[in-house]
Amino acid sequence: MGFSDAVTSHLGGETMTLCYQCGTCASSCPVAKITPSFNPREVIKLSLLGAKDEILSGDAIWLCCSCYNCQERCPQRVQIADVIYALRNIAIEKGHIPNIYSEFASALLNDGRIVNVSQFVENKRESIGLPPLQPVGVEALRKILSATKFNKLQKQEKSQ
Amino acid sequence: MDKARVGVFLSDGGNEFSKILDFAALTNYVKNVSDVVFVAKGNNFWEGKGLQTIVDAIKERKIDRVVVAETLPKLSEVKIARAVEDAGLNPYLMEFLDLKDHCAWPHQDTPAEATEKAKAMLRGAIERAKLLEPLEKLEFSALKSALIIGGGLAGMQTALNLADMGIEAHLVEKEPFIGGLAARAGRFFPTDDCAICIQPPASDVKTITHTSRKCVYRSGFTETPNLNILTNSKVVAVEGVPGNYKVTIEKKPRYVNELKCTGCDQCTAVCPVEVPDDYNAKLQTRKAIYMNIPNVHPPVYVIDDSVCKFYDCNKCVEVCPTNAIEFDQKPELITLNVGGIIVATGFKEFDASVIKEYHYDDYPDVITNLEFARMIDGFGPTGGVIIRPSNGKPAKKIVFIQCVGSRDRRYKPYCSSICCMISLKHATTIKTAYPDADISICYIDIRTTGREHEYYYEKARDMGIKFVKGRPTEVTRNPETGKLSVDVEDALLNRFLELDADLVVLAPAMVPAEGTEELAELLGLELEEDGFFKEYNAKLRPTETKLRGIYLAGGATFPKDAPTTSLHSHSASLKALKYLNTGKIVKDQRTAVVNEEYCGDCEFCPVTCPYGAISLVPTTEDHFVAQISDLQCEGCGVCVGTCPLNAIELRHSRPNQMLAQMKGLLSVNGTSKPLVLAICCSECGHTAVDSSGMAKMRYPANVRVMKVPCTGILQVHQLLEAFQAGAQGVMVVGCKSDGCHYEVGSQKAAKKVDLARTLLKEYGIAPDRLEMFNMVYIEGDRFAEAAQMITEKVEKLGPLQLMGGS
Repeated sequence: MGFSDAVTSHLGGETMTLCYQCGTCASSCPVAKITPSFNPREVIKLSLLGAKDEILSGDAIWLCCSCYNCQERCPQRVQIADVIYALRNIAIEKGHIPNIYSEFASALLNDGRIVNVSQFVENKRESIGLPPLQPVGVEALRKILSATKFNKLQKQEKSQ
Repeated sequence: MDKARVGVFLSDGGNEFSKILDFAALTNYVKNVSDVVFVAKGNNFWEGKGLQTIVDAIKERKIDRVVVAETLPKLSEVKIARAVEDAGLNPYLMEFLDLKDHCAWPHQDTPAEATEKAKAMLRGAIERAKLLEPLEKLEFSALKSALIIGGGLAGMQTALNLADMGIEAHLVEKEPFIGGLAARAGRFFPTDDCAICIQPPASDVKTITHTSRKCVYRSGFTETPNLNILTNSKVVAVEGVPGNYKVTIEKKPRYVNELKCTGCDQCTAVCPVEVPDDYNAKLQTRKAIYMNIPNVHPPVYVIDDSVCKFYDCNKCVEVCPTNAIEFDQKPELITLNVGGIIVATGFKEFDASVIKEYHYDDYPDVITNLEFARMIDGFGPTGGVIIRPSNGKPAKKIVFIQCVGSRDRRYKPYCSSICCMISLKHATTIKTAYPDADISICYIDIRTTGREHEYYYEKARDMGIKFVKGRPTEVTRNPETGKLSVDVEDALLNRFLELDADLVVLAPAMVPAEGTEELAELLGLELEEDGFFKEYNAKLRPTETKLRGIYLAGGATFPKDAPTTSLHSHSASLKALKYLNTGKIVKDQRTAVVNEEYCGDCEFCPVTCPYGAISLVPTTEDHFVAQISDLQCEGCGVCVGTCPLNAIELRHSRPNQMLAQMKGLLSVNGTSKPLVLAICCSECGHTAVDSSGMAKMRYPANVRVMKVPCTGILQVHQLLEAFQAGAQGVMVVGCKSDGCHYEVGSQKAAKKVDLARTLLKEYGIAPDRLEMFNMVYIEGDRFAEAAQMITEKVEKLGPLQLMGGS
């Protein structure tokens, strides 16, 4: 199976082949406007052309901010943000995951939070009359995350 | 009924097939079939001596059924039928079979088996022929008049064509003036001249000079004999049948007497009511009494009754020098009797305001191509000057945006096909008038496929018009300066551009005209998924509908440019003329008949009939029966297949005729394989069998082919009967499900086959013994493969044991 077929048979990637490169997504994209490293139209074109390695090991697919502007305006109803999620999932399956994502994953599995509770946050809460944050039920969370294979993200990181 | 006297004529194709088929054995076999009184063998029976043999047998041996096994059956059928008719026998009492393509060629490796199959084929044909009844040729009168709905380019050309050729043509336009989109478009590609030209009417002595075209208003078009133009009018009811329609037209009051008004313009000077002028893109206002543009037809004013104050004001009445203003006019209903109807309702622009990010509805400087056309028209609201509607100042920077709603799966997935050329025409027109204009065209793909069209693209590049390959995401407006900016990625540069614009021109999709759905409902026509009228066959019959008598011209079927609209209109005229000119519609009687004793009180068949040929008529109180119009019935038999009471029969495909042939085909096996019956529709199914034979593809001789008009005729019990008659496997071969010659037949057949398979399973018979196939002529290889495949499958399943089987 070619890379393009692999993407379209992946959940979220089904609509990719509808793309006719009009560029509405690119001009709708707030990320593309500030960095040449990400352009949704290019990500789709490269995927259609089968540039597997460039897409999976590159940074581009991780730069999408999931604002869904592109998806809202695409005249071919390509589910662009979802295609990019599909590409990220395929990348992870192949062992490509940026450190920041695996750090988030570890933090979530260990502490139940992506962002550690800092003294700054506690002070802020106190100043506006909110109670201190309670510890999260990590055990239950871990069960859920392992059922969804989320824990794989962390394992990948360890194996690297 | 007297016993039939069957004559059988066996052609060996110039001795060619004698090498495969044993004609002596066939002749002997046929002689012994009951009711066969005459048998002849020859080289051919479709011309010369051979044909004379048939004629003589009719005259001298008094045969009254003719069975011909020819080598060129499709060709010879027509010729022999004529000779049979001349000899005094009803030409429908004939049965043809093809021993070449359906027997000798495909089974040439097993000549003995081929001969046995040929016997079975002959037996089937003879048994069927015996049961055939004489049929009539039917003639229905057709009025030499036509209704043309829509007074745009297509409607005008069609009406003129028909009127010129002696057909009384009634051209109905819902607006107060004719001209349609064409009149608003101003200029046309590929000639760059006016949109309101027309071919000169043949009847006008002044224009009989064969000049290439004339301005509509001076062409004499409106004075063409046989042409009746009704403006401000709408079709509200249609009754009747092809050839004889009764149409009711509602004509709205104009409040101005068309014969008295001289177009002097004094009324508009005194009229105090001013409203935005929709016709001219609201770029100006007009009065309550108005004309769209000076050169319209009819060249008289109309009063807009939604805003006129009538007697409370009375100013126009006071100044009119010819007393043409008539406030008391009332809507009138006009009845027309016409033989044919031509739909020429055209298309319109898609409502661009639904694409919010382009701000068509809230930024006045965002306009559409049609509005832009009004601006560049010298007769238009700006006198040909390109302005910014927001402040009336000249527009220098102009950005066109293509595919607004077209090629957009959220709105219109199709390419509207003319918008690239419209924008190129507009861009080059302004650039010619204003060389310093800064023009950009944002496009996804530029499509210039017609003759001379690519030249526009070339010219535009040469003139310095900028092309940006990208579909803009948004049009923004600077709140202080009011200037627009178009946000787009140029995919070729891989760069984001913000194009400044004084004016943004959108190229909206083209969609069916207002009222298309209601009209389709009124006429009983189908619409395609895109909302345009569906033509009878997209490839071959683009201006006809499945209803004899109703035709399509111009953009009613899909957006079209002027050259294509002209072609289309001429085609529609010709097609309509086919019936209207002769004053009659001729067809044969192979139509469906209702047995009123069985029929009653269900509504299946009228709904199923693809041609609207069936109506329900009351018998006694609360009871009704189906009635089939011989004129509208096209002989597919879909109603037969649908009727739950077996109350409908199709002439020449009656159940007893089909069963007799089926039994005949299965009466002799002669092969070591189980008998398979292939029930093929007379169109694609049967031609696939032809083509496999013509290409000498091989399949086993146990496969027997039976022709039915359309697989839609098949009833579930008939499929089961085939097994009872001796088939071990049954193939149903129809047209592609979306390409049935009778619209829905092969889809209906597929459902019957499914149901029959379920029943077979219930009876403990492997459902795989029955299968539906869809193929076309060029797929003869698929037929041969399928025949082989089902034979193998049935062999593997072993002999079929039926309780009390025959």
